Amino acid sequence: MRAHSMLTRRLLASTVPVALLLGLGTSPARTDPLIGDVLNSYGLPGGVETPTAEMLPDGTLGGTLSYNGLGRRHNVIFQLHPRITTALRYSRVEGMKDHIEDLGNHIWDRSFDIRFQVLDEAGWRPAVAVGLQDFMGTGVYSGEYIVASKTITPRLRASLGIGWGRLAGEYRRPDSDDEGGKPNVDEWFSGSPKPFGSIAWQATDKLSLVAEYSSDEYVPESRDGLEEAPGSQFNLGAYYTFNPQYQLGLYTLGGDVFGAQFSFALNPRNAPFPSGLEKAPAPVRPRPAPAADPEGWSGAWSADPTAQPAIQTVLKDALADEGQMLESMSLSANRAEVRIRNTRYIQHSEAVGRTARLMTRALPPSVETLVITSNAEGMATSSVVLKRSDVERLENTEAGRIATAAELVDATPRPGDLVRTPGLFPRFRWNLAPYLDIGLFDPEDPLRYEVGAEVKASYELMPGLILSGSLRQRAFGNMDQSGPAIPPELNGGVRGDHYTAEEYEADPSLETSPEGVPRVRSDTRMYTGRTSPTIPELTLAWYAQPTEQVYTRVTVGLLERAYGGVSGEVLWKPANSPLAFGAEVNRVKKRDFDDMFGFRDYEVTTGHLSAYYEFANGFTAQLDVGKYLAGDKGATVTLTREFANGWRVGAFATKTDMSDEEFGNGSFDKGITISLPITWAAGTPTRDRAGSTLRSLSRDGGARVDVSGRLYDKVRDAQSVKLYQGWGRFWR
Amino acid sequence: MTTTRIHRAALSTLLIAGLAACGNQDGGQDANPLLIAARTAAGGVSAMRGDKAAQAQAPARTPEQMAAEALRVNPAPLVMVGFESLGRTQVMAMTGQNGAMRTYMAPSKEALILRDGMVVGTRGLGHDLSVAEPGTEALIRAGRSGTARRVMRYYSGDGLERPLSFDCTVGPGPKPGVVLESCEGHGARFQNSFMPQGGHLPVSRQWAGPKLGYVTIQVLRP
Repeated sequence: MRAHSMLTRRLLASTVPVALLLGLGTSPARTDPLIGDVLNSYGLPGGVETPTAEMLPDGTLGGTLSYNGLGRRHNVIFQLHPRITTALRYSRVEGMKDHIEDLGNHIWDRSFDIRFQVLDEAGWRPAVAVGLQDFMGTGVYSGEYIVASKTITPRLRASLGIGWGRLAGEYRRPDSDDEGGKPNVDEWFSGSPKPFGSIAWQATDKLSLVAEYSSDEYVPESRDGLEEAPGSQFNLGAYYTFNPQYQLGLYTLGGDVFGAQFSFALNPRNAPFPSGLEKAPAPVRPRPAPAADPEGWSGAWSADPTAQPAIQTVLKDALADEGQMLESMSLSANRAEVRIRNTRYIQHSEAVGRTARLMTRALPPSVETLVITSNAEGMATSSVVLKRSDVERLENTEAGRIATAAELVDATPRPGDLVRTPGLFPRFRWNLAPYLDIGLFDPEDPLRYEVGAEVKASYELMPGLILSGSLRQRAFGNMDQSGPAIPPELNGGVRGDHYTAEEYEADPSLETSPEGVPRVRSDTRMYTGRTSPTIPELTLAWYAQPTEQVYTRVTVGLLERAYGGVSGEVLWKPANSPLAFGAEVNRVKKRDFDDMFGFRDYEVTTGHLSAYYEFANGFTAQLDVGKYLAGDKGATVTLTREFANGWRVGAFATKTDMSDEEFGNGSFDKGITISLPITWAAGTPTRDRAGSTLRSLSRDGGARVDVSGRLYDKVRDAQSVKLYQGWGRFWR
Repeated sequence: MTTTRIHRAALSTLLIAGLAACGNQDGGQDANPLLIAARTAAGGVSAMRGDKAAQAQAPARTPEQMAAEALRVNPAPLVMVGFESLGRTQVMAMTGQNGAMRTYMAPSKEALILRDGMVVGTRGLGHDLSVAEPGTEALIRAGRSGTARRVMRYYSGDGLERPLSFDCTVGPGPKPGVVLESCEGHGARFQNSFMPQGGHLPVSRQWAGPKLGYVTIQVLRP
């Protein structure tokens, strides 16, 4: 219990009084638009079920569980932009029959929502928002709305809107031939609209009471007579916020259906320890006056061959204490360059700032130019060039001043005068820890898990040449080994049966679907549930940098759980360019389900051309065009929002030339990725992250080899956009 | 049958928990959020226990005793610092000097950066002040009355350095020799007090930030 309260405090505690938090904006005025206090049962700001024109503070990532007699909704929300709220939902809808007979009277359904605030509240004008609900799914919740919200008194807010589809009580029955998963554009704003409205009264600072009128008729839930729609259109709810991040709600739909909900919201600004708990850096040591150290200032020391090894050793030890590996160094009378590998700080500027200060403490006074080159797997990704006198002059001033004085340039891959620090390589790293594997979105078993122990080890023969692997042993869990679902046309029309592992393995022809698509991912459960040890990954990777702006990677071995082979990649990414291009080719063979080192017959060459762009406001975009695992050709678009502290939330979609029928349910591959740095939650400095990819469905179309160590994220930390975005920590 | 299974599961849970993360791997790993959460919580608890144990062992000492011992043991310039919100008073020793700016550190490697007695920044406290730019400094040192702007920059949770700016009035305090600096901004207000002596600020009580609160500073050895 104590561990739990400690955790929640660390994860969720708000740290700054609201008045000050609001003032902490980079821009002079507060830019957040009308902010909602209550999350509705769909997870977005609103009444009980109806939407409002409210938003959440920018960057908020949250979740809601809302349960009532007509359904259970599990929502993940993200405030993508001050004016755009997005939601992903996985719901259990009661009263509907699934294709799978055994499931009883409910279906599991995924849906996406988006809300755009067109106008913010100003003077007499209300805030106005337009929203699309369940705009890509199978349509159970499909509806659209335009809504206006107005603050009447500081404690009373009213909203009025018109809705289409579900919000007008209409059910857009999915076309049985349709595989779903595509924007149903032609249905948007179709049918006859109906009104809805809500009033929210903030009774106390923590308690909000909501009354609303909804036009929802609960058609999908009630049309088969299995559930009854609420008897009235009026809904009431009470919501109690017991810490700025948690909210508990009780509500009734029409007075005869009751529900409860729990929601939480995290905001990147609300870290428990905003400045981190890492110890203070060693301060700058200014140089003595030239008269006090004429020899040091003359540079004559540089003729002494013992000078550099001695300085390099001292600096190596001091940097190691800061989590920085001094891989190599060059030193002359007036210039010193260190090549560091940052193993501790998530914001790379902090590594650079601490290294600069240590250099002022270790180097003789005649050295005026300090070059800090950042290495990633032996590749020199950028050099920050500083004048030592600027470091002395600007210590502990606004970070922007040293940014202006610093210069960021491409690093020379192999300058002649660089001396490697002895004794660093070969380097062996290992880690033994428990693992938890979670499988979501299986309608028959919505949460599957497996727990066990995992050993990871890496042996770096020289910078950039790394042998690494992992070994897992399951302890317990409910993940089992199973074949893919049997197509209903081969099973007398019955859906939901799976081939057993033995059946599937015995008949290799099953590894191609009836539509002729090789099963590259839909049999992924054949790789789970093993009670004997498994090797998820075992590779030899070689990273190199042929020119200043070009990076390469070759990886051979067991690349991932289901594929092994060779993967090659080239990336062009100048240190000062927000634009990058890359190419990747993989020749892979499908791994055996049971034999740790064995392979099956399926073999394929996949490849992609990629373009990457980093926008100045924290958004990055990526476009990959090429051939996927099942031999299908197409493109993947990824849009990610990144914060300076390392928070990352992104969405991707892949469309290939595979037809909707071949692809199956969902029509194309899409999902969201969330990655949060541990430092943000715990305060202690580490580059570890926690995160997950939520895919709407794992199918055979648009699937890629999941090879680790892709170049783009390796290279980018020390380059202009990311480095400057996180520059505020230079003097931390 | 079921019992055995549960038994076995419980046993392996214990085994798994027992091996909770050992190794020497570099940072930058992707970990399962739930496991990380568990590890973070475990770390927090053991850190708390560690704190308690350390406190229990150290005999309770008065600030005077701490000052006397530090002056005897440490030849460096020293200040006695009280962090009111942390309920902690400690002696900090100078570890670096850059012009008029001095960095004082505690043995636990937390730092207070002062410019001849004026708080410029803090490091390692979790809610650090990155840099203070007190436009009032000259008025305070001279003991004159007037108004000026004070900008305080903080490390914010989203990884940026964000400024808070305050309008401040400097004037004499109720007691002779005390200069008060009253600041207001962003719906918050605070009051710093100084006892300037010949332009130096040997004794003061200064506001370091919304979470850190007030810090009292007394120069033990200049």
